[in-house]
Amino acid sequence: MQNAIGLITANYSTKEPSVLTESRPIASLPFLGRYRLVDFALSNMINAGITTVGLVMPYNYRSLTDHVGAGKDWGLSRKKGGLFNLPGSAFGTSRTGSRFLVRDLVHNKIFFERSHEDYVILSSCNFVYNMDYRNLISAHASSGADITVLTQTAKGKDEDVIGFDVEGNRVKGLKHGVVFGDTAFLDCFVIGRKALLQMLEWYEATDYLDIFEALSSDYERVNVQSFNYEGYIVPVFNTRAYFKANMDLLRPEVSDELFPVERPIRTKAHDNAPAKFESGSHVTNAHISGSCRIYGSVADSILGRSVVVESGAAVRNSIVMQSCIIKSGAHVENAIVDRNNIVPAGTELRGTPDALFIKGKARE
Amino acid sequence: MGAVITKRLLSGALREDEGRKGKWAMSKTECIAMLLAGGRGSRLGVLTSKIAKPAVSFGAKYRIIDFVLSNCANSGIDTVGVLTQYRPYLLHSYIGNGSAWDLDSINGGGISILPPYETQTSSAWYAGTADAITQNIGFIEQNDPDYILILSGDQLYRMDYQKMLDVHKKHNADLTVAVMPVAWEEASRFGIMTQDEDGKILNFSEKPEKPESNLASMGIYIFNAKLLVETLKADAIDQTSEHDFGKNIIPKLLAEGKQLYTYQFNGFWRDVGTISSYHETSMDLLGPHPAFDLFTPDFPILSNSSTRPPAYVGSNAHIDDCLVGNGAQVLGTIRHSIVSTDTFIGERAVIEDSVLLPGCTVKAGAHIVRAILGEHSVVEEDVALGSIDMTRDTAVIGDDVVVGKGEE
Repeated sequence: MQNAIGLITANYSTKEPSVLTESRPIASLPFLGRYRLVDFALSNMINAGITTVGLVMPYNYRSLTDHVGAGKDWGLSRKKGGLFNLPGSAFGTSRTGSRFLVRDLVHNKIFFERSHEDYVILSSCNFVYNMDYRNLISAHASSGADITVLTQTAKGKDEDVIGFDVEGNRVKGLKHGVVFGDTAFLDCFVIGRKALLQMLEWYEATDYLDIFEALSSDYERVNVQSFNYEGYIVPVFNTRAYFKANMDLLRPEVSDELFPVERPIRTKAHDNAPAKFESGSHVTNAHISGSCRIYGSVADSILGRSVVVESGAAVRNSIVMQSCIIKSGAHVENAIVDRNNIVPAGTELRGTPDALFIKGKARE
Repeated sequence: MGAVITKRLLSGALREDEGRKGKWAMSKTECIAMLLAGGRGSRLGVLTSKIAKPAVSFGAKYRIIDFVLSNCANSGIDTVGVLTQYRPYLLHSYIGNGSAWDLDSINGGGISILPPYETQTSSAWYAGTADAITQNIGFIEQNDPDYILILSGDQLYRMDYQKMLDVHKKHNADLTVAVMPVAWEEASRFGIMTQDEDGKILNFSEKPEKPESNLASMGIYIFNAKLLVETLKADAIDQTSEHDFGKNIIPKLLAEGKQLYTYQFNGFWRDVGTISSYHETSMDLLGPHPAFDLFTPDFPILSNSSTRPPAYVGSNAHIDDCLVGNGAQVLGTIRHSIVSTDTFIGERAVIEDSVLLPGCTVKAGAHIVRAILGEHSVVEEDVALGSIDMTRDTAVIGDDVVVGKGEE
């Protein structure tokens, strides 16, 4: 049991126009076959013993509520606390690059007011990682900081990640986009619950800003400390990063770090059969989800639940999502194939490693 | 729906007026299931040395009890009592509140675990299948059903019990026994029914030397509740009875001239009583047209499985005709095998005709043939285990056992 409640902002959509996120928020983007991005934020919260979590909803919330339901699969369907679906700003937060829009927090003040815990931990759904948040919460509690932000030294250029100007551990300013060596914000921070309510009063007039932008003239007054996370983490703000994050998991050392048995990433349970590899199938370097049936060949790829790869069909360096059927003799390479697609016999879906072929979700 | 709920509410209210059971009296349910899950399953050897047979892992991601609980869920039975006795801890924790099988419904009674208990005057273990139910007549009375479905927690099959209940009602039967045709040469291993053309049972013989029929009892019964309770009460004080459904209750009802009917089932059904039948039944899940197909979206097998990432298949792996569970890492070669959740198969390892239970590790270069490796067992590098010689027994490694070089 933690002395903290959680808030997850799930209303971020990508800036780039992509068929993958046309009808769903980033939060419910399928990941590694059986997960959705929101699973990481939710699991990190509950694995730290947090039992009250608010989920700020996007306007196109159908896929998200379908996935999280009443929070049962995360142990959040409870009498005390549990999962709270909270309204979020209609247009999402991507245009401004905002993660924690003051308006979204102000509108849900009552969620914070009704709690009794001392701390609030807030997170977006844009990062894939598995972290023990208890370390972050206890660092915050013992440092005396007003806010503790989770950060990591940037390993490269990323225009979508927020960076902090820091002196020592003290945050002095904010910028959009990071380059190698910058202090990258991992879209997660801890704040005292009462302090948060106080800040929402201060910044209510500028509720169109992200809370860290609103703070920008106050970094001298408000003690914002960074907490460095050393573990594996990857931002997912666009299709290229999404593809890379999935493919990273083909390295067992990454997969082992992200999915330790003792700290599971939980997701909506589906009761389907184990994967079946038929005689004559040929699979190498791939993640194959439950209920897949493989007759053909799969290499360097990620297959979602219940995908069928017929004999003579080949999938290479691709992500194929739930319930797709790759018909006999079809060839899928350097592609992302969204749910329910049937790739007809003998056809080719072929991109290049630099320009992936992306096929949007098909009707069921 | 509306009618059913009204019936429940009325009956609940009635009971409260009567003051018999107070506010905790449950509402009325047409048919409840009582699932016998306490047997030792000793012929499964090391697989049941630490856990009850219904809790034994099966089919890469399931436990044996999943099949019967899924049958209940898929048949709309929402009140299930599970009678446990032998090594119940894992079984109890796996069943939990029954929500994995939708048995936590607010209208139905949900799932109740029924272990043996002590009273002011006595305490006793369950002494037989019928005795286990007798000791839980309180559970029956609390639910006040019209019909009671008696099931075993250790059988593998898919059945819609609603259809069996419909047949029971159509015959206006006192007891309906599910039967299936078995090979004549096997018939003397079973309880055998002879019936007339309407399915009325004329004779029943337990493990007959010269069977008159090849219709075997599957150990699945639907009783009219009132009759079952009366019969069990009488059986309980019968000093000569072994308190067993097959040996005592069914012959007694037949002798009394009660209306006993069969319900014929023609699908896949196995009681995995022995290591070799466990192995064989596992192999039945494989092949292009498996005898027991797990891929049935309209009749899903529900389970309380952990959420683990998809299976990972390595760059040098080779997989041929296998079922592979989530969280498995396959780096070597596996053929015609069941590889369960969170197993690890190292480079150059070869697995054939085997069943690897959850969490089992086979290190690089090991060679496993016709073997069952228990949960979290470990086979060290380059160890060879099992034999393709079909006349030899299937090799079995118990849960948590480590097999090193020279120990095989």
